[in-house]
Amino acid sequence: MFLVRFFGLATGAIAALASLQLFVGAAMAQADGPVTKGGTLIYLEQQSHTNLYPPAGGFYPNGGVLNQITDKLTYQNPKTLEIEPWIAESWTVNADATEYTFKIRPGVTFSDGTPLDAAAVAKNFDVYGLGDKALRHPVSEVITNYKGSEVIDPLTVKFTFSKPSVGFLQGTSVIGSGLVSLKTLALPDEALGDATKIIGSGPFVVASEVLGRELVLTARKDYKWGPAKLAQQGPANLDGIKYVVTPEDSVRIGALLAGQAQVIRQVQAYDEKQVQAKNFVIYAPPTRGVNNSVVFRPDSPLVADLRVRQALLHATNAKEIVTTLFSANYPLAKSIIASTAQGYVDLSAKLTYDPALAAKLLDEAGWTMGPKGVRQKEGKELVLAAYESPPQPQNKETLQLVAQQWAKVGVKLNVLAGDAGSRVVDSLDPLKTPVAPAMVGRADPDVIRSQYYPTTRNVLLQKGGVSTRVQTFVDDKLNALLEAIAAETDKAKRLALVGEVQNYVIDQAYTIPIFEEPQAFAASPRLKGFAFEAVGRPSFYAVWLAPK
Amino acid sequence: MVRYLIGRIGQALAVLAVTFTAAFLLLQVLPGDAVMIKFMSPEMGLSADQIAEIRASYGADLPIWEQYLKTVANFLTGNFGYSIQAGVPVSQQLATNLPPTLLLASLGFAAAVVLTIALAALSNMVGMGWLRSSLQSLPSLFISVPVFWLGIMLIQIFSFQLGLVSVISPGPVERLILPVATLAIPISAPLAQILMRNIDEVLAQPFVAVARAKGASRNWVLWKHVARNAVLPTLTIAGVLFGELLAGAVVTEAVYGLNGLGGLTYQAVGNHDTAVLQAIVVISALAFVTINLVVDLLYPVLDPRLGSKLGTAT
Repeated sequence: MFLVRFFGLATGAIAALASLQLFVGAAMAQADGPVTKGGTLIYLEQQSHTNLYPPAGGFYPNGGVLNQITDKLTYQNPKTLEIEPWIAESWTVNADATEYTFKIRPGVTFSDGTPLDAAAVAKNFDVYGLGDKALRHPVSEVITNYKGSEVIDPLTVKFTFSKPSVGFLQGTSVIGSGLVSLKTLALPDEALGDATKIIGSGPFVVASEVLGRELVLTARKDYKWGPAKLAQQGPANLDGIKYVVTPEDSVRIGALLAGQAQVIRQVQAYDEKQVQAKNFVIYAPPTRGVNNSVVFRPDSPLVADLRVRQALLHATNAKEIVTTLFSANYPLAKSIIASTAQGYVDLSAKLTYDPALAAKLLDEAGWTMGPKGVRQKEGKELVLAAYESPPQPQNKETLQLVAQQWAKVGVKLNVLAGDAGSRVVDSLDPLKTPVAPAMVGRADPDVIRSQYYPTTRNVLLQKGGVSTRVQTFVDDKLNALLEAIAAETDKAKRLALVGEVQNYVIDQAYTIPIFEEPQAFAASPRLKGFAFEAVGRPSFYAVWLAPK
Repeated sequence: MVRYLIGRIGQALAVLAVTFTAAFLLLQVLPGDAVMIKFMSPEMGLSADQIAEIRASYGADLPIWEQYLKTVANFLTGNFGYSIQAGVPVSQQLATNLPPTLLLASLGFAAAVVLTIALAALSNMVGMGWLRSSLQSLPSLFISVPVFWLGIMLIQIFSFQLGLVSVISPGPVERLILPVATLAIPISAPLAQILMRNIDEVLAQPFVAVARAKGASRNWVLWKHVARNAVLPTLTIAGVLFGELLAGAVVTEAVYGLNGLGGLTYQAVGNHDTAVLQAIVVISALAFVTINLVVDLLYPVLDPRLGSKLGTAT
């Protein structure tokens, strides 16, 4: 098994280069010869989509659907990460980022024929920013401090915020901010799992669905409002896309290689080799957010001591994890955020693997080696626990390898695999899960605030969040830095703050970064023009199928 | 007979009511609930107040007895509620998933019966000892084959290597060929084992020797006298196995990417989607109860002695 994985690496590196070129070349599809129009793409998904309320688009299968059927107010260029016009032709932001005014492109319609105008945009963001209690729509994670909207004229809309909200402009470009018809927003939240009810203005429209099995999209022939700077303009090249839910890994890969499908999502690193051996292509677009990591919950007395956390950070050999379990498509993490993220600083010097230092730090912290090879202090053993996170690639194997590495310095990590209910409940209790796996994709510095701030994802479990089990742990300095990121309107200063947070989190050893998580796809060599939005969700707008 | 039927239907309803209540209580005992799993998961990034509002709007914090009465009332009026995770009405999920599972299970079962009879008949009709014993050991092989592995192998060989059937965009009949085979093989194994054993036992009885002595051929005796006597215990097991098809279907559906109750159950269990599970439990209980009733009613048809006993017993 290990041998196969090591061999996979060498070919993986070559393929990564190849796919990078393809990735860059995606926008210039013409380089592959004349574009062939028409045809239906068959796309194999590992899981069925769930509720398609756009702010729930973070779940990979949901994003894969929503990105084809909805348009966003703005477009984030995946290469430069700049915000470009899409449904909004232009915008202005006031000095303290509390007022945003957008000019809407004229002539845009939803697929039910209703206009996508200022009133529709205003209603969309009112729901995403404030939620809808009667219909039970939750607030979107990417919109903070939202106060309200004002329709200035049919094509101009203004949003106001109670506090500076610098991340909002990028927030209008993400999957979770897809614009939908007022008819869709009028449905209760628990009815939005039916894809045919999601009416967007995107290049594809949901034609039919067999719940949990397949979804058929057809191209909209009158589509002419794609992102202005994109090479592809007008309607999509394909006639349609058929999504088939194929849970079993080997069936997805077999079907792709046998020509029964053209693209598949979720290819494990150890399967890359057999795909490339047949000249099929691996695409591994980065998710550009918080890296795949292990985080501590310092409210637990076991990891409250900085020296213990630092010891575990130095006892973790992330390089071994990447080379053993993954491929070149999974770059070694050098900070808490990806090297492709804005404001990234290289902290590899602070992330060294040094078991001798780890042992020394644990000794200093008073944890002495016990008879069973597990360190003890005042009769208590240093035994930690973490739940595996099934959506992350090979997370169980990753945590088990971390556990083996920690065992060498006398710390035991139990890797738990409970049902979803136990996982949610226990993951909010620092005593039960002093350690947790974490990652999140979003191409804006705001992602760090989302991940660490107490009232949002709160990965460190600070007091003031959802959990009622936290006794005392609060880090005011960290929170002040995170608030500053959300409010700093000067770009250079904001990125400086992002650098400061990265240093602070690593200095406090709150997080052990492991690798930069991609989303892995495999595709037929016939597939051209395959592109990804900024956090790796597929876009089939410019895709075409070369003749056999 | 009518009184017997009414009694059995009454029993069936009681079983359903108990199952419903037990399922409801067990689902309440589990840590967490569907609303919590969906909205409290850190991916939603919601604050404590926002979650509290959502919980209140779903009625997730009402006392258990109140939730129970609401659920009973909803079920009696045919309202199964919504799946919180999937975001669709449970009735819509059932309408999509129940018919394919019933079709797959029925065909799988029918194929298993055919396979069982073929195995039993062949192993008793062929003369050669080595062939007979290898046929008789086939069920042991079938029963030890993991369904998951079998499914993958059938797909790899018949779809990906030979290209005979498509698994991704198959026609309505094509769609069922491999899954039915995958399901039928392990189901036929215990049936064939029991049938073969019973045939052996019946063959050893004196009346068989008498019939043979009177000049009846071996096959005539086998079909006319032995089969009828050997089939009764097999029928009982068949009733139980048909229920097990639901469990077998979970794996088969996952491997072939078919929609059906198996996959639906798996997802709903993972997410504590109570409304979905409640409906599935009731449907499964209904299926078990109905099949057992049918099996019981078939006994007197096959063996008239049981019929008269039934008549006097009630």
